[in-house]
Amino acid sequence: MKLLIVEDEQTLRDTIEKYFTEEGSICEVAGDLKTALKKIAVYEYDCILLDIGLPDGDGFAILEYLRTSGKNECVLIISARNSLDDKIKGLNIGADDYITKPFHLAELKARLMAIVRRKTFGSNSLLNYNEISIDLLGRNVTVNEKVMVLTKKEYDMLLYFIANKGKVISKNAIAEHLWGDEMDMLDSFDFIYTHIKNLRKKLMELSGKDFFATIYGIGYKFV
Amino acid sequence: MKLASHYNKASVIISVSVLLVSGLIYYLIINHIARQQLDNDLSEEVEEVIAYVNLNHRLPKQVEFDEDLTSFSKTQVNQYDTRFFDTPYANTKENKTEAGRAVSALVNVNGEKYIVTIVESREDTEYLIQIISAITLVLTAVLLGILIITNRFVLNGLWRPFYGILDQVKWFNVADAHKITSAETKVDEFNDLGDALSKMSARVTTEYQGLKAFTENASHEMMTPLAVITSKLDMLIQDETLKPEQFVQITDIYSAASRLSRLNQSLLLLVKIDNNLLQDTEKLNIKNIILEKAQQFHEMIINKNIQLDVKLTDLEIHASRYLIEVLINNLFSNAIRHNKNSGDIKIVLSAERLQFQNTGDPDPLQQDAIFERFYKGRSSDGTGLGLAIMKNICSLYQSDIKYTFKQGMHSFCIDFFKNT
Repeated sequence: MKLLIVEDEQTLRDTIEKYFTEEGSICEVAGDLKTALKKIAVYEYDCILLDIGLPDGDGFAILEYLRTSGKNECVLIISARNSLDDKIKGLNIGADDYITKPFHLAELKARLMAIVRRKTFGSNSLLNYNEISIDLLGRNVTVNEKVMVLTKKEYDMLLYFIANKGKVISKNAIAEHLWGDEMDMLDSFDFIYTHIKNLRKKLMELSGKDFFATIYGIGYKFV
Repeated sequence: MKLASHYNKASVIISVSVLLVSGLIYYLIINHIARQQLDNDLSEEVEEVIAYVNLNHRLPKQVEFDEDLTSFSKTQVNQYDTRFFDTPYANTKENKTEAGRAVSALVNVNGEKYIVTIVESREDTEYLIQIISAITLVLTAVLLGILIITNRFVLNGLWRPFYGILDQVKWFNVADAHKITSAETKVDEFNDLGDALSKMSARVTTEYQGLKAFTENASHEMMTPLAVITSKLDMLIQDETLKPEQFVQITDIYSAASRLSRLNQSLLLLVKIDNNLLQDTEKLNIKNIILEKAQQFHEMIINKNIQLDVKLTDLEIHASRYLIEVLINNLFSNAIRHNKNSGDIKIVLSAERLQFQNTGDPDPLQQDAIFERFYKGRSSDGTGLGLAIMKNICSLYQSDIKYTFKQGMHSFCIDFFKNT
């Protein structure tokens, strides 16, 4: 997968780049609108992470450019403004999703995978990860060709963990993913523990192996 | 009472009393003059009688003096002062008794002494006085009427620019762009007032806008560093050489960062509500939103073993879905967070009113302070903005939110102004 990260804050850009760079993925970065436009004109990307507030203009210009030049890159907007207008504007002129700062890298990754998958649905709506096979349209999950019945939250969590496979994910990030940031009462992480326990058990029953590693004091890792 | 009414009242009281007093004085003077006139007439009559007696050496016949009643009585007194007095006058023609004025004097006829008494009718002068009084009264009434009417119209006209300015001040809201304008009037004081207020409102609005822009910018500017903190932590925990104790500390940093971010978002939301920036109103069924939220909070309710009791009727309002969801969300999260284990939550939605009741702290909250920004209860770990946000959402939709505490239940009650 080829990614372009357009973000003016250098530390944030580097961190995202580091998190997203893995086997089979290439990340490129741009710190301003001019560099970004130059790169987009020359190369093809699977997805662009786009900060709206750039020093030399606003990121909507990139969306406009993509639209007028008939390019088909996925765009995930990163914005410091949790503004409905910006969100609607962005989505209307071709962005695929919108995420507000601050965000967890795991959330960013999960959102990015989701939109990339959505774009390539046409050919294949099956997501395979080891023994696990997920039919994204029908929301059916099979493990070793045996059907696994999951609750909505467990299904969301499974996709989230697969998108962030091999990464340690904090309980805070999981909580925000499952309940959104409007529920500011998740100081107790018991709920997450219960959901993970159930999902873990179901996966173990069907595959005979433990996909989750508990990282004591912080969270979980999906392997 | 309005200034014009005060003025009217004073001017009417003063005019009426001045007119009454002057009317009285006028009446007394006229009366006095009329009486003197009568007395002069009577004196002349007496002189005529005396002249007659001196000429004819006998008493005149009564008929020789026209309308007046003249009577003579013999007397032995040598000294008698001529005196005037009021007495009834018997009108023989019309056969009735009228008010009269009399004079009595001593007449000497051939050495014999008589007291002559002449009575004259006062009818004519009384009539005159009555006419004069009537005219005075009518004039007084007319004058009063004119005074009241002119006061009302002239004063109202004069004060109209003042009320215009007052209306603008009443409707003045620092949050909207509408400024107070001063219309040119003939009254210097009102012109000054209008100018001063319009300058003041412009200054207040500018400063308020500046403050708001500052809040908004400050909150936005904080989001990027927060994103850096969060993402750096996300990277940091990938390091497998970290010890569990360090992870516990990282979790605390995560929590602090997410709290800061929620605080920022709450501040921004308050600014947005204040500015009425969320105008995407649609028809909403409150009942459905409550049921959706109850579903979302289901786990937390079960976890605390809370008994949820809902009685909902359909209620539709026009509002921003986002804000109403925030409102219901806050009601739920407060009712759960401040509840005790195995407590109760009662939700009643009627045609105009939504009531959330929950058990919890046995003591009531400070009713007047809880809706203030950054008010926090004894055990609250929230942002301190939740209730302020709720209050602002309610006032945005002309609704009223009240807190009461009864029989161990904390109750938040919203009276919806149905603007459907």
